[in-house]
Amino acid sequence: MNELERANDNSGNQSAIRTSSPLTTLEVYDQYGAMAYGIILQIIPQPHLAQEILVNVFSSPLLQSCNSYPFTFAVCVIKLARAKAVEAKRQMMAIAPLNDSNYSASESTPEFIFDLAFRQGFSPDEVAEKLKISKPEVLKAFHEFFKSPNA
Amino acid sequence: MKTQEFIKSGILESYLLGMTTEAEEHQVNQMILTHSDVSDYIIRFEKNIQGHFLQNAVPPPAEIRDIIQLRTNKTHIQKKGNNTYYDLPKDDTKKKDEYLDIEVNDTYIKVHKWWRPAFVAVFILSKIFLIAGLYYYFKASNQEEEIQKLRTEIAAPRR
Repeated sequence: MNELERANDNSGNQSAIRTSSPLTTLEVYDQYGAMAYGIILQIIPQPHLAQEILVNVFSSPLLQSCNSYPFTFAVCVIKLARAKAVEAKRQMMAIAPLNDSNYSASESTPEFIFDLAFRQGFSPDEVAEKLKISKPEVLKAFHEFFKSPNA
Repeated sequence: MKTQEFIKSGILESYLLGMTTEAEEHQVNQMILTHSDVSDYIIRFEKNIQGHFLQNAVPPPAEIRDIIQLRTNKTHIQKKGNNTYYDLPKDDTKKKDEYLDIEVNDTYIKVHKWWRPAFVAVFILSKIFLIAGLYYYFKASNQEEEIQKLRTEIAAPRR
């Protein structure tokens, strides 16, 4: 049960929140390490770099900020893994920039938009600019992506 | 904006994946607090998103766990609802936890930098003593031979 579920729980048993058993970093790693590694590999396909980022994610003090995160640890780990991988990717791109490809609006399928935003590390504004579509269309594509059966 | 329109706008997905601006985050937080449909959707979406990324999970090499264990040994993460990043424990136990118990199995030792000139001085002195020792040894043996020669010379005219 996450924070929202607890908040929606009408039992009002607030003490249950405070006495939850402590999770060590290794327990978080055992639960979500493979998921985080999968996410990092999607963004940075080089295994050695990806492993370095994985270590950074789980030894980062930011992982402790997941304590104050209102949602599940899984979502927090997903955000953290993506943020670290995208940061590393940006550093790599600064050293060896790739040619800026031209995209057409016809390519703007939810899968492609999600790939640009989540895996390539572009912000929704940047994706909208690249695909010459509006930002609400980009955000709507995220919703469509997770609704689609192959998501 | 109607709740369903808000949900279908995709801003919640963007919010949970960390791709929203501060203004959008504020807007989403307000909607979560005021609309139970939005919070219900987020709970469902959390499971959905977790399932999606678990499908693409890749088991990392076993050594990674050991490295993380070394780096974060004894650091416990407690999921407390009212704990913020700035409210992390600041007592002595945290300070104690900042040190890692590492078993060192290498064969190197660290000594003070003044040991280097001391070793050089000992080395040079040992060479000086060695050379002096050899010099006096050969000098003494030469003198011994000279004395022996003189003795034989002195002894010869007596015959």
